[in-house]
Amino acid sequence: MDPFEHHNAATVAGAIELLTGNATGAQAARPISGGTDLLTTMKAGLRAPVRLVNLKTVRGLDSIVDYAGTLRLGALVTLDTLEHNGLVAERYRALADAAGLAASPQLRNMGTLGGNLAQESRCAYYRNADFPCWLKGGTVCYAREGDNAHHAVFTDDSPCVTVHPSDPATALLALDATLTIQGAAGERRVPIGDFFTLPRADHRQLTILGPADLITGIELPPLPAARSASRYLKAMDRATWSFALAGVAVALTWTAPGSGLIESVRIALGGVAPVPRRAAAAEDYLVGKQLNAATAAEAGRLAVQGAASLAHNAYKVRLLAGLVARALAATVPT
Amino acid sequence: MVRVVRTKVEIEGRTHEEVVVVEGEEPAAWAAGELHHVGQATVRVDGVERVTGSARYTSDMQLPGMLYAAVARCPHPHARLRSLDTRAAEALPGVRAILTHENAPPIPWHGKASRVFDTELRHEGDEIAAVAADDPETAERAARLIRAEYEVLPYVIDAEVAMRPDAVQVHPDGNVLKDEDGNEGETYTRGDVAKGFGAADVVFEGRFSTAAQMHNALETHGSVVAWDGPTLTIYDSTQAIFNVRNRLAQSLGLPLTDVRVIKNYVGGAFGAKLGAYKQTLIAALLARSTGRPIHLMLDRRAENLVAGHRAPSIQHIKVGARKDGTLTALEMRIICPIGAFGMWAPSVGGPAKEMYTIPNMHIQTFGVRVHTGSHSAFRAPGYVEGAVALEGALDEIAAQLGLDPLAIRLKNYAAKDPGSDQAFTAKHLDECYRRGAERFGWAGLRKDLTAARKASGAGSAGTALLRGIGMASQNWGGGGGPTAQALCRINSDGSVDVQCGSQDLGTGTRTVLAQIAADALHLGMDRVRVLLGDTDKPYAPLSGGSMTVASVGPAVRMAADEARKQLLEIASAFMDTAPDRLEIRDGRIVRQGQADRSMSIADVLKEIGDYQIIGKGFRGPNPPEIIRTWGAQFAEVTVDPVTGHVQVVRMTGVYDTGRVINPLTYTSQIHGGIVQGMGLAVTEGRTLDPTSGKSLNANLEEYKLPTIADLPQIDVTWIGEPDFQANHLGAKGIGEPPIIPTPAAIANAVADALGVRVFDLPITPERVLTALAGGMA
Repeated sequence: MDPFEHHNAATVAGAIELLTGNATGAQAARPISGGTDLLTTMKAGLRAPVRLVNLKTVRGLDSIVDYAGTLRLGALVTLDTLEHNGLVAERYRALADAAGLAASPQLRNMGTLGGNLAQESRCAYYRNADFPCWLKGGTVCYAREGDNAHHAVFTDDSPCVTVHPSDPATALLALDATLTIQGAAGERRVPIGDFFTLPRADHRQLTILGPADLITGIELPPLPAARSASRYLKAMDRATWSFALAGVAVALTWTAPGSGLIESVRIALGGVAPVPRRAAAAEDYLVGKQLNAATAAEAGRLAVQGAASLAHNAYKVRLLAGLVARALAATVPT
Repeated sequence: MVRVVRTKVEIEGRTHEEVVVVEGEEPAAWAAGELHHVGQATVRVDGVERVTGSARYTSDMQLPGMLYAAVARCPHPHARLRSLDTRAAEALPGVRAILTHENAPPIPWHGKASRVFDTELRHEGDEIAAVAADDPETAERAARLIRAEYEVLPYVIDAEVAMRPDAVQVHPDGNVLKDEDGNEGETYTRGDVAKGFGAADVVFEGRFSTAAQMHNALETHGSVVAWDGPTLTIYDSTQAIFNVRNRLAQSLGLPLTDVRVIKNYVGGAFGAKLGAYKQTLIAALLARSTGRPIHLMLDRRAENLVAGHRAPSIQHIKVGARKDGTLTALEMRIICPIGAFGMWAPSVGGPAKEMYTIPNMHIQTFGVRVHTGSHSAFRAPGYVEGAVALEGALDEIAAQLGLDPLAIRLKNYAAKDPGSDQAFTAKHLDECYRRGAERFGWAGLRKDLTAARKASGAGSAGTALLRGIGMASQNWGGGGGPTAQALCRINSDGSVDVQCGSQDLGTGTRTVLAQIAADALHLGMDRVRVLLGDTDKPYAPLSGGSMTVASVGPAVRMAADEARKQLLEIASAFMDTAPDRLEIRDGRIVRQGQADRSMSIADVLKEIGDYQIIGKGFRGPNPPEIIRTWGAQFAEVTVDPVTGHVQVVRMTGVYDTGRVINPLTYTSQIHGGIVQGMGLAVTEGRTLDPTSGKSLNANLEEYKLPTIADLPQIDVTWIGEPDFQANHLGAKGIGEPPIIPTPAAIANAVADALGVRVFDLPITPERVLTALAGGMA
């Protein structure tokens, strides 16, 4: 690790100023909160920021506030808090479950929601400084021809076949969250679906965040209390502390309590594409349907439509279809 | 009087002859009535130091003026070093020395195959330069600033490709290790295999594989070294201090008196620390050139690239049996990539040769050099892997014949060594099977599962958890043998130290030896300190091969016994009684039958002033019979057919390794073995990039060690019958036996759950789902 400056920011505006325009590329100044992702990139030689701007000294970024049914989460709420907060668990169970299934207890104590959404690819090629891969500005996606057992199964949209590693991101996509982002030009509100971006030749990153942009808050819209449910399920290659082989979040509203008839549904898929993605065909199919084993299985089948797996990850397509069906089934009140 | 005797010693599946120097007479078989500490569950004598952090491991050593070192490494699997530019590194403030092939002495390494800094680099992580600096961060930065130009050369990492005649050569003498006659591979034959298969009613044939398992000891390899005039002191992260001493003395041209190696606490080793590694020599050279002590520990990535691993295995196996389950023939073709500088092939054929009465057998084992870091021993090297294929094949045969897996094992039970027809010193494996099956509920579960599967209709189309059970057997050495020596010193205040150059890997050696010494002295354990881990102490072997208790234990007992006898002889002069009529009871020397005629040990010692009573002990020769340890494990798993996740729910292990000295540390060893075996079975495996040959998971994030959430409930018991033919303690090793049957038992349980076998370990979700999809996902 190379030497760097460390600044404690007092305000969001102060942090943005400290992040603005001192260096570019791997040397660009970076914000740090839990540091669970940033420090690993620095140790691996991927990033060598000349300056770290500590956000933990900014007051109020770790609050959870209920505004007339809309839940506002500060960007510095830790994953551990998300997992155990009563309001989150009661209304947005998919998010609480996703936070609890992420990483390990130590990492959840340190890691924050904002940092989790902004984390970088966990592709082994990306993380190894010896591979000048496409996402890092090179010409080749090594995973396409290499070891891709953990990589994307929706591969047509991007030269890079990484998967987005965040569990909460998948849950937030199903829950229709909106992010508040502050930058030099002021504050923006961005639906989570627009926050994640498929990497392009002129934009080789997984989010829209600019170098001096900060996620400051995440808003969750109200769900009808007695007739909605959400779940997040995750498949891993060991019992815990692994990034998702596939993660599925579903959030649905019944026509009436106990009707079993779906009024609306959002299904988000994680660990299968460079960004979390909606399963639109499955959602369309389910609206107006009675949820049962057969319709859940059909939704699973529709969710993997268009999958184009790589040499070593065809198993993930099966897995994903099964997990979608299982996540839907889990929402049925017992 | 000193005598010289020849004896056979088995270590890690290979037997060799050893010359033993015998001085005096070893004690007789230790009767249970003489024991107060041995056999008792005893907490570790060094437990407090270890858990409070006061135990100093190698990386904790701080010496005055010490510098920190870092190593620059080749990023390619095979390359020639064209040029090195160290100017930027030298210019960094705080850098004190840089060693490269240009300024370091060309000391041979890996036999004569390489040098301390070579210019032909044969694996990712091969050393190209080393830096000493004021602090670790500067050393690491400087190592990164060294600019190397390489001619990247063709490489081979696939063992089957490396065996082809036109393959890239790792060394000029060919990729495949040769036997004594110069033939590629090792061949073992008994009986007539063609005839054996001719007599078979059923045959199973399959290809199994296991992955490279990384040791990942918490404490990485490394050394802190200091020169004091001509003498070199090395604090080394090792399980073999005398091997390190010999190697460094030889490499540096020093007499053994000038090299001292110290290792007081070991943070895990598992077989990867059985000899000197290059970084120790590099540290010694840097210390010599700077005149300062050097601290050189590997980081986790280097640990995974250059510090050993369990070699992967590919095992083609063919087994034949008669209708009644009698095995008639076995054939195996075993291929193990052993890295660029591997010098031996693991004994993957070991279980097949020794476990069952198979009259006709042909096993070929190929150790193949490839462009990766070298393999090393890893807890029962070869046997763990070999059991997977053997025990898996047995289950497949049993299934073909409609037999209970346990029944086919009992049917082919080997009361004598099936290869040599020689007797074993002891074997109670049948009792292990019986007790294990009972504790586990084997027969009832088998019946229940069969009935449940019939009821639900075979097939795995559902999404409910699939449940399965499996078992496997274990055979291993663990009888130890010479050479091991120890001293026992009674100080003038009555405190006792036992001195022995063994190592405590964290297994409990220090505790077990204290129990043995206390019982031999007829004293309490609070009087006894066991001093290990220092080449200034008498010789003890490397801590490996499950041999410490059976090798060092008898020497310690004898030394303590001798010290006690001397004490009684001295006391006899002051008590006016023949020494054989005196005994030690509650810290006093008492005349037998006359409890009122006694003298405190302190008073006896006061009479002799500063004289230290020193008892000497050695490990005597082994008997002509074959010494083995035995065990059986039973596993229950669930498999999620949607996610492919295998959860090991429960394991039962029953062991026969002679007398158990300390049930507490013994149980810990079995827990550790089962957990480590479970890793190999379901989560662990090095992955190499097929297109560049580089490791993709040389870290603890992508390389999946089992977590607490992965662990099964573990139920452990043992037979505990002393094996006095093996040695006078009646005890054998438990270090390696518990890992051996675990992957096999789990793989068999998964096959039972799925109704289809996954032949390749680890059994990942990818492999489970692929198998459930009929081989194609």
